[in-house]
Amino acid sequence: MSTSPTAPVELDAATLSVRHLNRATRDALTAGSDVLVRNSGARHNLGVALLHPGRVTFDSSVGYYSAGMNDGATVEIGGSAGWGLAEGMLAGTVVVRGNAGNGAAASIRGGTVVVHGDCAARAGVAMKGGLLLIQGDAGYMTAFMMQKGVIVICGNAGDALADSMYEGVVFVGGEIASLGNDAVIEEPTAPDQSTLAAAFAQYGITPPARLRKIVAGRRLWNFEHAELETWRHAL
Amino acid sequence: MCGIAGYLSRTGADEPIGRVLLDMLTGLARRGPDSAGVACFRPHTDGTSVAWVRVPGADGTGAEAALRSRLAGLAEVRDVQRHGDLLRLQLWLDAPAGAVTRALEHPGDDVEVVSIGEHLELVKQVGAPAGLDATFGIAAMRGSHAIGHTRLSTESRVDLSHSQPFWAHGVADLATVHNGHITNYDRLRRLYEQKGVRFFSENDSEVIGVYLADQLERGRTLEQALANSLDDFDGSFTYLVATPDAIGYARDPFALKPLVTVETDAYVAIANEEIAIRHALGTDGVAHEPSGHVYRLWYRAGAAAPATAASAAA
Repeated sequence: MSTSPTAPVELDAATLSVRHLNRATRDALTAGSDVLVRNSGARHNLGVALLHPGRVTFDSSVGYYSAGMNDGATVEIGGSAGWGLAEGMLAGTVVVRGNAGNGAAASIRGGTVVVHGDCAARAGVAMKGGLLLIQGDAGYMTAFMMQKGVIVICGNAGDALADSMYEGVVFVGGEIASLGNDAVIEEPTAPDQSTLAAAFAQYGITPPARLRKIVAGRRLWNFEHAELETWRHAL
Repeated sequence: MCGIAGYLSRTGADEPIGRVLLDMLTGLARRGPDSAGVACFRPHTDGTSVAWVRVPGADGTGAEAALRSRLAGLAEVRDVQRHGDLLRLQLWLDAPAGAVTRALEHPGDDVEVVSIGEHLELVKQVGAPAGLDATFGIAAMRGSHAIGHTRLSTESRVDLSHSQPFWAHGVADLATVHNGHITNYDRLRRLYEQKGVRFFSENDSEVIGVYLADQLERGRTLEQALANSLDDFDGSFTYLVATPDAIGYARDPFALKPLVTVETDAYVAIANEEIAIRHALGTDGVAHEPSGHVYRLWYRAGAAAPATAASAAA
């Protein structure tokens, strides 16, 4: 371990239990130090419940639920991430250099998740705020039951995109395999374009040539007997 | 849960695949310690086949003599080794694996052929994966590719017959491992039983190999069989299949069970958690999780791959 105030605290995941590792990470952030975790080895539950600002860097892949419940820290992941990346995040930033597994940014309320590779199924499921920026492709049922926030997919989107979303916005640069129930396509507005341009610039992502915007058609907001067939299909 | 793992060497035919699989399964052992096993494939053979046969409770000599008499005219026994209730027979087959299997498994007794293959060495036992080396010496096994399993039993018994990998019963050199539940298993099983297939467990995973063997017998390629399975199986599944030439996966439309691949110039590694791959092989390559309704095949170096060796289902 290094204790220099300028250099990050270094932790070796290969020699520590996950509980010890997470406690040491939280202690370092509380004391105002950044953290570098070596040999993260795709272990699960790394960097959860970080409640203070500061930078935590994992040198390689992380497993399930990494950076879950994050509330203000900036987490960088050198490899890929497993299921439930940043699940339930409140604030802060999580950046993945590789790919993310199922359920990336599930239920986040705020903050930003950036995945430079692809996301598997159900990215941004039940998002309640925040930004999910995917440089590559997104899988099946991305943005399912999304309630608020923004998802940007620079590559292609899988089947049932934005199924049953309540609110929020999804932007797609590539092909959409199929739209989910009640998802409708709109043209991005000028404010959308400037917000997106700022996000792309901040995270070093080349903007796609064209982005389509997907929002809720709002036909599932209230039950109408006249639209029974819509409900039958959705359920 | 259940842990599944697969590895295919891209550089050579004689790799320490047993050691790699043992390390991958050890990395997945949290996903279930009830039973574990591996199916290793060697590309080159001397023409003989290996049969693993479970003969419960019989003393070594009597069991061996009984099996020898049942094999008369069908196979020449070159070598016999005993591992508890299991006999490992090295055979020169004069008849197809299906006929040899039927001859060994008399109706009414409890003899079960666990596997037959010219390229395949399939070993499994009750208990966590760490025990596989002590019993079978799998760390020393070499070959070009392998698949393995560590089980958390959820719906059927914990014993050898319910353990994985499953051999596609009666069809030489075809093995599967599965994580999930095939929920239309009863219907599929009834269908195959009406055609005369005998099942040896109540584990839904057993039907996968039977299904793939049936597809191949109908003239479909392995790739077509994997594609068809995406729609013919209900439930949650990520399963791996291995033949003498290839290793592949198929995943259910909802992507309900985990699946991660790492491809490098040297190998293809597949597991349902990346931690297995890192534990066995280090940090090389980028892990990728595919979406749902997808399958893929990789062919070993030197195998004649069909023109469309790998693809995603539409």
